[in-house]
Amino acid sequence: MGADLAIAVLLGGIVALDGTSFGQFMISRPFIAGTLTGAAIGSPMEGAAVGAVLEMFQLCVLPVGGARFPEAGPAAVVATLAAGAAPGAGGLALACVLGLVWAEVCGASVIYLRLLNGRMVPDPAAGPVTPQKVMRAQFAALALDFLRGALLVSVGAVVGILVTPRFALAWPLDEPWTLGLLAAGAAAPLGALLRTLGGLGRWRAVFTYGVVIGCIAVIAR
Amino acid sequence: MSRPTPSIPWAVLLRSFAIQGSWNYRTMLGSGFAFALLPVLREAYREDDAGLREAIGRHSDLFNSHPYLAPMALGAVAALERDRAASQLIERFKAAVRGPLGALGDRLVWAAWLPATLLLALVLYSAGVAPWAAAVAFLLVYNVGHLGLRIWGFRLGLKVRNLLGEPLKNAGLVRLGDLAAAAATFLLGVLVPLLLLSGIVSGARLLWGFAILGALSMALGAYHGAVTRKAAVVLLCFATFAILGYGLGR
Repeated sequence: MGADLAIAVLLGGIVALDGTSFGQFMISRPFIAGTLTGAAIGSPMEGAAVGAVLEMFQLCVLPVGGARFPEAGPAAVVATLAAGAAPGAGGLALACVLGLVWAEVCGASVIYLRLLNGRMVPDPAAGPVTPQKVMRAQFAALALDFLRGALLVSVGAVVGILVTPRFALAWPLDEPWTLGLLAAGAAAPLGALLRTLGGLGRWRAVFTYGVVIGCIAVIAR
Repeated sequence: MSRPTPSIPWAVLLRSFAIQGSWNYRTMLGSGFAFALLPVLREAYREDDAGLREAIGRHSDLFNSHPYLAPMALGAVAALERDRAASQLIERFKAAVRGPLGALGDRLVWAAWLPATLLLALVLYSAGVAPWAAAVAFLLVYNVGHLGLRIWGFRLGLKVRNLLGEPLKNAGLVRLGDLAAAAATFLLGVLVPLLLLSGIVSGARLLWGFAILGALSMALGAYHGAVTRKAAVVLLCFATFAILGYGLGR
């Protein structure tokens, strides 16, 4: 468990950096972060399932400019740890809810990070700006973001690992009901995504073709 | 003036991956822009320390753009600084491109390419492909577009300098964004039956009641937009705690 936690904390720092400060290669997307964490801690199916649910909630969120938005990367790491600690339908449901709530906490922390960055970066109006000042501010801000992600995963993991298994045992729904609940919840943000993409008015035929192919895939299965 | 070292522009491109590192509400990408541009500035002002400080000060000021299209502005400014173009010209150029590069990137990447590639991964996963394979497929496809856009933009900026308007208009990025949005909509259509009729996780057949509830909540989302996400999160949390309370009380 200690090694798993250490790996998850490291992953938390990396996905926070990827999502906010460095690269945006999208390993910070919840599906990827969940799958990676699940593979790292030996719960690959739980990680992917939690990541997929969180991803469906996150897809309609556009990370534009200085807007405040939920940060689901570190939250997916936390949720995967929780689901790994409490396998089964109850663990999945509680881990997804924990991930959704924690994504809001992570998103709020980005605001504070950016306020701190504002204090660290050199102000041209306050005096000459040297290369050293720019380099120092950049590396300090990157390090701070990594620490932010690691800290968020550490605190979230304590909640997830300690609390989720206790309550998951009392979860009364079986798997189909739990999946139904999560699917019904995730459908609303997917609808919002459809609107972001242009809406049915613009892509009615394309969307309908997709639904037909999806139905054929379900029947074929 | 001595001929610039060929590797220096590529050092700028590499540093551009960290351009968002010090994003803040005062200068936005400004400090990151100066950080990325440092190799070129150091070379251009090799024997002019005061000029170097003045240039770094200028570039540390307010700037914003989509992170993937910022290399385009960086390439153009790097070329202008190498030629020691007038600072007013560079400032005017930066002020002129920051809005369009931000809006274009948001529309092309965040609102089209990213959802399209993520939906592809979710469709693969829900159709029974191994999670790691779906994840790798997403990372590969998405980052081909991501890195391609960064490199193409940087090279274009280096080549055309402050005359970005026409080549950018002719590049067809808006058309590409529309194509990606259409692909994303198609994949969303494929995902919906897989999610509501078959279950995203295990392929277990869902209850019809939830499938109908899901279709209704999707229609609400499509009608009201992103605000329904918050409502869905709150309702799901409430439902989960209510069900858990029922389970604990049994």
